[in-house]
Amino acid sequence: MAGYIGKEITDFTVQAYHKGSFETVTKESVLGHWSVFFFYPADFTFVCPTELGDLADFYEDFKETGCEIYSVSEDTHFVHKAWADASETIRKIEYPMLADPAGRLASFFDVLVEEEGQALRGTFIVNPEGKIKAYEIHDMGIGRNAEELLRKVQAAQYVEEHGDQVCPAKWKPGEETLTPSLDLVGLL
Amino acid sequence: MIDLNQLEGTSPLLDEKLQEELKKIFGRMEMPVTLKAVVDMGEEKSREMALFLKTAVSLSDLLTLELYTPEEAKCLEVHTDYLPATGLYKDGAYSGVSFHGVPGGKEMNSFVLAIYNLSGPGQEIGRGLVKKIQKIKKPANIKVCVSLACHHCPAVVAASQRIAILNPLVEAQMLDANLYPELVERYGITRVPFVILNDEKTFTGPKTIEELVGMLG
Repeated sequence: MAGYIGKEITDFTVQAYHKGSFETVTKESVLGHWSVFFFYPADFTFVCPTELGDLADFYEDFKETGCEIYSVSEDTHFVHKAWADASETIRKIEYPMLADPAGRLASFFDVLVEEEGQALRGTFIVNPEGKIKAYEIHDMGIGRNAEELLRKVQAAQYVEEHGDQVCPAKWKPGEETLTPSLDLVGLL
Repeated sequence: MIDLNQLEGTSPLLDEKLQEELKKIFGRMEMPVTLKAVVDMGEEKSREMALFLKTAVSLSDLLTLELYTPEEAKCLEVHTDYLPATGLYKDGAYSGVSFHGVPGGKEMNSFVLAIYNLSGPGQEIGRGLVKKIQKIKKPANIKVCVSLACHHCPAVVAASQRIAILNPLVEAQMLDANLYPELVERYGITRVPFVILNDEKTFTGPKTIEELVGMLG
């Protein structure tokens, strides 16, 4: 899918496993707050629990910024439950785990590898209006970093609130003073 | 006062080309301006600022520099919580404009504008806006925290300092937040420009002079 940024997410209705229960998640459910769609290839794999566990560790930080996490794989919600029952790492997850066995969400986000019935490791940050503001897509084996994702969500929120007229501050005490650059054309 | 003769050479921040540009701008000054700087010569940034200021004032007969140790500075109006601190004075009076840190990078622009606006003629602003600024009755302190690489920051510094120059109740400080980690931590600064009003309210992002006046009214 070309032109992700600014694209509105598709209408969808999927089942989800969420803290021991099943629930329905729709497009309407994800509007009104920031969201992260976090695709991963399949339940019961090895890299996935590491990534999802990392995300679970930062979940409170995401909630504090007003952002919900939705993990998505092409498994059913029953498989999500079975995985949670079998894995301590997955059991501690408090965000909704979406089930996309029909591949509708993965197709929309263009991360579906059809011959394998699995999704690439795609992450999509969606604003409260349902528009994609940032994304990254990794090949199957390349993991992601929850802390970096949190920084991206916060950056997206800042830009939404203040426009792009702020500069990120990377404080490194003791840095050299920058060479002055004079640009007063039209100001004097 | 610290003897300026103990500062050797010229500031590496002001190369010949920049010095020529500054001479032209300072050539438009109308009234003398004194820079009173508080420096701790045991600290690298203070030594850097002292040499920078010495080089800068050498570019105009209307600029004078006085260097003070932190102990000597107790009689000065300029705040010394964040060193190096440089206050701009005209006719012996503190203008309310100060710089904390070394105004390198983009902040060179706000430093030059502050001198130009204090000395006169200054940047043109509307008569109505001048009136509004002069009508501000409540004392106010504006701290503009910047990063020297931030291209949005100098305009906010210049706007706040323009207000300070026009109203003696307003003080406007530029702070290079990079030098003051405790300030960054206390206010949770992650983006700049970051404005702190009266050490209470904070704002991230650019503010025009009209918006700042509205906040102070």
